[in-house]
Amino acid sequence: MDKLNKNNNFKVPDGYFDTLSSDIMKKIAMEDTSMPLNEGFKVPEGYFETLNTKILGQLENIPVEAKVIPLKSYKKHYYTAASVAAVVLLFIIVQFNTDKTPSYSDLANSDIEHYFEFNDLELSSYDLAEILPIDDLDLNDILESRLDNDNIIDYLDSHIEDFEELNMHNDD
Amino acid sequence: MELKSKMLIAEETLVIQLKQKDHQAKAFEILVNTYKERLYWHIRRIVLNHDDTDDVLQNTFIKVFRNIDGFKGDSQLYSWMYRIATNEALSFLKSKSQKLKINNEKLMTKAVEDLRADVYFEGDEIQLKLQKAIATLPEKQKLIFNMKYFQEMKYEEISEILETSVGGLKASYHLASKKIEAFLKEN
Repeated sequence: MDKLNKNNNFKVPDGYFDTLSSDIMKKIAMEDTSMPLNEGFKVPEGYFETLNTKILGQLENIPVEAKVIPLKSYKKHYYTAASVAAVVLLFIIVQFNTDKTPSYSDLANSDIEHYFEFNDLELSSYDLAEILPIDDLDLNDILESRLDNDNIIDYLDSHIEDFEELNMHNDD
Repeated sequence: MELKSKMLIAEETLVIQLKQKDHQAKAFEILVNTYKERLYWHIRRIVLNHDDTDDVLQNTFIKVFRNIDGFKGDSQLYSWMYRIATNEALSFLKSKSQKLKINNEKLMTKAVEDLRADVYFEGDEIQLKLQKAIATLPEKQKLIFNMKYFQEMKYEEISEILETSVGGLKASYHLASKKIEAFLKEN
């Protein structure tokens, strides 16, 4: 040790290096923690062994509960009837006021974005790829402006030196 | 034969026997012995103390016994039982909080605090802190976190018990872990 400490004016507290490794281990143990796998719950001794007889005893002692019909139960039905009536009424009003059923295209983009923003979906792009039906998708569904055949021909015309060499068949 | 399909056949036989008067008692004993510990720990993680867990567990098995005729076999027996256990534990907490006239969040904070004096809890400060963190989660995230983290269940199994899509479960588990990590760092 002294060899390493030649011409050195710095000092360390007594025993510093002796306890260093255990100090570090303690620190690692504390940082690592964050989530212990064992929760520390215990059960009384022999609990599981006697459980079966306890439950069987209960089953024998408790008679099957008879259904209790509460008095004035019709009150509950008033509420049910009222809510059913309200729903029917609302449905009729909605039916008369709109001549078509709402579809996906009626949803505002902002509503959809709001939904994704505030519902904890946390879907990764892999999750999305699993649910999106790519077979039915066309390139034009993704592009913001439509890509017509004319545009493609214009592009090729202006970017390729000898357009005729492409040997395109135009059956139209 | 695959282990899983073997288990399914064993489950089916058990259900048939549970519905027959002659074999009922024996089959019920097998059922309790097979599932008691798994269900116990599932419930214990929700209600936290042993005595309450004992009550809920016994009620769960009694409900299973009484309603076995209604079990149609659409799902696996064990996920059906887990569902009953979960519902029993949650409604137990609900009625407890009504009795004490406090909300569910306060009830859970109290339950974690009570762990300090609980003879059946020997966790250290870190484990207590983890329970505190879990207590801050919304009910469903708490269930998902416990089932995934401590019980190491597969998403497909949890999905069948909680009737939630696997994608939704993954998202909830991710959120729950993030919240717990944040809580542990802050406190």
